[in-house]
Amino acid sequence: MTFLMLLTNILSTSAGDVFITRGMKQVGEISTLRLRTLLGIAVRVLSNVNFLAGVLCMAVSFFSFLTVLSWADMSFVVPITSLAYVVSSFGAKFILKERVNPLRWAGTLLVCVGAALVSLP
Amino acid sequence: MKTAIVLVIAVLAQAAGNTYLSKGMKELAASTAHGDQSLLWMGLQVLGSPVICFGTLLLIVFFLLFSAALSWEDLSFVLPATSLGYVLNLAFAHHFLNEAVSPTRWFGTALISLGVLLVAKSGSRSVQEALGTTSRVGQ
Repeated sequence: MTFLMLLTNILSTSAGDVFITRGMKQVGEISTLRLRTLLGIAVRVLSNVNFLAGVLCMAVSFFSFLTVLSWADMSFVVPITSLAYVVSSFGAKFILKERVNPLRWAGTLLVCVGAALVSLP
Repeated sequence: MKTAIVLVIAVLAQAAGNTYLSKGMKELAASTAHGDQSLLWMGLQVLGSPVICFGTLLLIVFFLLFSAALSWEDLSFVLPATSLGYVLNLAFAHHFLNEAVSPTRWFGTALISLGVLLVAKSGSRSVQEALGTTSRVGQ
């Protein structure tokens, strides 16, 4: 059960990342600081289906995280959930067609291991 | 440069937000240790705590800047880059909340910093585009 909830957490986090990225790319590059333009962009973001799907996934991620924390130790849960870094990068490569070069993979792996170590007591 | 500025502010907001949230929740736990522990009462106390509300506001700022950065930058770049927040979080917890930090944790932050350095060296989208080595995301 703990395993299933961890899997739900990792997959929903990564799906959320990918959906939000796709939504924001559809909205287009934000390159202004003018308040009125920013408000217009906010409306476009909040009515973007991909972005909303991403937020929904993030909500699932948050509540599955809280649930699993009530069952298991944080020093067990957080290192495992840091796998989401790697899963998100696979999503970026295969779904968003981003070009992930070997250097970026190496860096992402180090971050993943580091994040796991940081949350150990 | 735009990416760097936005991500640095985002990471600072996240670390400060988490620190305020942690401080607020600990204060709350200390003040309600003997009293009513119902979930509703806890919820009301959370909303009434300026420290917690400010922390939450900072985390919203983080999410806005994170999303903004994703409007022009690769996810596989932004995601590892924002993990510098782990390092800042640890430093803030150590400095402001007087938490003890084990050698394992410092080692972990060193790995994260090194990882972020590699990701930064892998080139942001704008750099890759300037070099003509990136494929466009379907829009």
